[in-house]
Amino acid sequence: MTVDSAPKLVIETKDLVKMYGPHIALQGLNLKLESGATGILGPNGAGKSTFFKCILGLITTTSGEGTVLGYDIRTQGDLIRSKIGYMPEYDSLDPGLSAIDQVRYSGELIGMNPSQATQRAHEVLEYVGLKDQRYRKIETFSTGMKQATKLACALIHDPEILICDEPTNGLDQRARDFMLQTLRNTVNQGGRTVLMSGHVMDDIQEVCDNIVMIHKGKIVVHRRIDELAKQVDEEIEISVWGGSSRMQNSLESRGLSVRRLGRVMRIKVESEETIPLILECAVESGVQVRKMGEYKPDLEDIFLLIMDKLGAEVKQTSDLMTSEHTGGANV
Amino acid sequence: MSDEQINLDGGQTRMEAAYGSDDGDNDSSAIVAKKEASLGAIFEQNYRPWDGNLGPRWVRNYAIFRHHVFGLFTSKGHRHYNPFVRLTILVIFIGAISPIAMLFFSSLFGAGPDSFIDKMWGINRSNLWGQVLGYFPRNLCYWPLLTALVVGGMISDDRRNGTSAIYFSRPVTRVDYTLMKYLSVAVVLGFVIVFSYMAYYTLAIVFKGEGWGFLIDTLPMFLSGLLCSLLLVITYTSIGLALSSISQSRFFSAIAFLSIIYGTKLVALLIDLQFETSILYILSPYDCLAHLGQWLLGLELNYSHSLSLSVVSLIMMNVISIMILISRVSSLEVTRE
Repeated sequence: MTVDSAPKLVIETKDLVKMYGPHIALQGLNLKLESGATGILGPNGAGKSTFFKCILGLITTTSGEGTVLGYDIRTQGDLIRSKIGYMPEYDSLDPGLSAIDQVRYSGELIGMNPSQATQRAHEVLEYVGLKDQRYRKIETFSTGMKQATKLACALIHDPEILICDEPTNGLDQRARDFMLQTLRNTVNQGGRTVLMSGHVMDDIQEVCDNIVMIHKGKIVVHRRIDELAKQVDEEIEISVWGGSSRMQNSLESRGLSVRRLGRVMRIKVESEETIPLILECAVESGVQVRKMGEYKPDLEDIFLLIMDKLGAEVKQTSDLMTSEHTGGANV
Repeated sequence: MSDEQINLDGGQTRMEAAYGSDDGDNDSSAIVAKKEASLGAIFEQNYRPWDGNLGPRWVRNYAIFRHHVFGLFTSKGHRHYNPFVRLTILVIFIGAISPIAMLFFSSLFGAGPDSFIDKMWGINRSNLWGQVLGYFPRNLCYWPLLTALVVGGMISDDRRNGTSAIYFSRPVTRVDYTLMKYLSVAVVLGFVIVFSYMAYYTLAIVFKGEGWGFLIDTLPMFLSGLLCSLLLVITYTSIGLALSSISQSRFFSAIAFLSIIYGTKLVALLIDLQFETSILYILSPYDCLAHLGQWLLGLELNYSHSLSLSVVSLIMMNVISIMILISRVSSLEVTRE
């Protein structure tokens, strides 16, 4: 089953400010999030958790306003939380309970009656791949199984918005892939909205179409990932053998911009002449070019670029980007 | 034989002969019964929507209450209580209702109102007071241990395991959470303390065949004792939950509760013995309750200090405990502990 529906506005904030005493956690957040999958990025202390708490209606905002699914975050927190599934980053499971009981209890806490909650707990545990382990106690679970159980707890009432706080934390490759696939299915099959925070860019890129970057309580970027990728300079990636430093010097002496990672170099494409120039440099330096190809920037590059600009070239976040970079968001 | 002649859907299949005794020009085949191969289960991830209705606030609150209270009777699907804890609570309950057995034997033997059994376990002011506030064994062993076992982990487990996020990321308010936890503990304590007291009074009347006159005579005493038992449940619940809320360890809250109950009593006793003043008993929750209970049941007061000091102290203990509880529950995090 695939749900195709036009994107609709699910979260909207206007000049949202949250202060903890003198510390400003969120500085006038203006955000319009549509349905689909959105990654929330930002370094520790950027304000991601505060943002989640605000949209869950758990803390009172200092000023500004916001709505989630049309409900006011200042006055209708209960209604919002009944429509949202939240998967916390940290352990939030009772080790003495079996998975089925934990998921069922989390359903009851949202207002499902016991029989409904039990039936639905079986369904969601099957969905997250724990069908055969559902009667096992959580204390015997691996990290991946615990993460899956937390996801099942969040999905039990079929929430319209699923908030996942670093869902791949501590997972091995197989468990990570399955978790990301599950989140993708939740968006594509279930037609749910997923808000996913994290530090691992690849994870965000695999699930999300959009990203929101928060830095020092401000939104610095809010755009589609593929559009952002276009902002990063086109590069040629080469892998060289013998005399990497000579090669780098040669390239730079011809005015090319080089990013070097050991034997791997990424050279900014200046013109159509860049590739012949690279080959000339290789001949001149006496190095073997063992691999050459177009380098497609990933979210990691985008993130590093933006953070680099935040830290080095700009003095204030408001100076960071043009409206082209931020998708029109006011920074 | 053509495929049309073979009923493939009906469990038949065609077996091609790989080797034969002929010259190989013929297509050797035979129709055989199809054997269902065991292919195993292929996991297919399908998101199933749910369009049921969510219950109102009381449904959520009752779920919290049920989770904690039903866990004492069956660990299946509810909060897990260690079997040793459940066994100890059962022993305490049996100990609390043991006077009923003595009254039953008394009724069998036809012992009169002046008999030893009736004086020891029959209904009178001292015994009604003692059923709730007697020091040994009830307030030395039963009630403090019962409270320590029940409150240990009630909130501290949520703090340690991060399960507070399960509550507060749902439409459960901190007020509801605190009230339901409080009610759960109070009901378990009440079941043992208040229920055993009520059962004792009721069955004593039944076993002794007492009439309306006895009932009317003793009812005020019974109600006073009932009030004492409720105050004891409330006070122990408040102190116990406050201790549970300030730690991440169920052991700490249990031991801290026992230390407060026994420690204050011991210190006050030593001071009383040494300096012949009972004033320090106002620090002991048990002695404040005992003092008030003596007054309510019309018994001679054992304490030399004013009753009002004990009452004020009792109120202060409850207020401070509840303030600590509220403050600590407010600090329980959803996103990070």
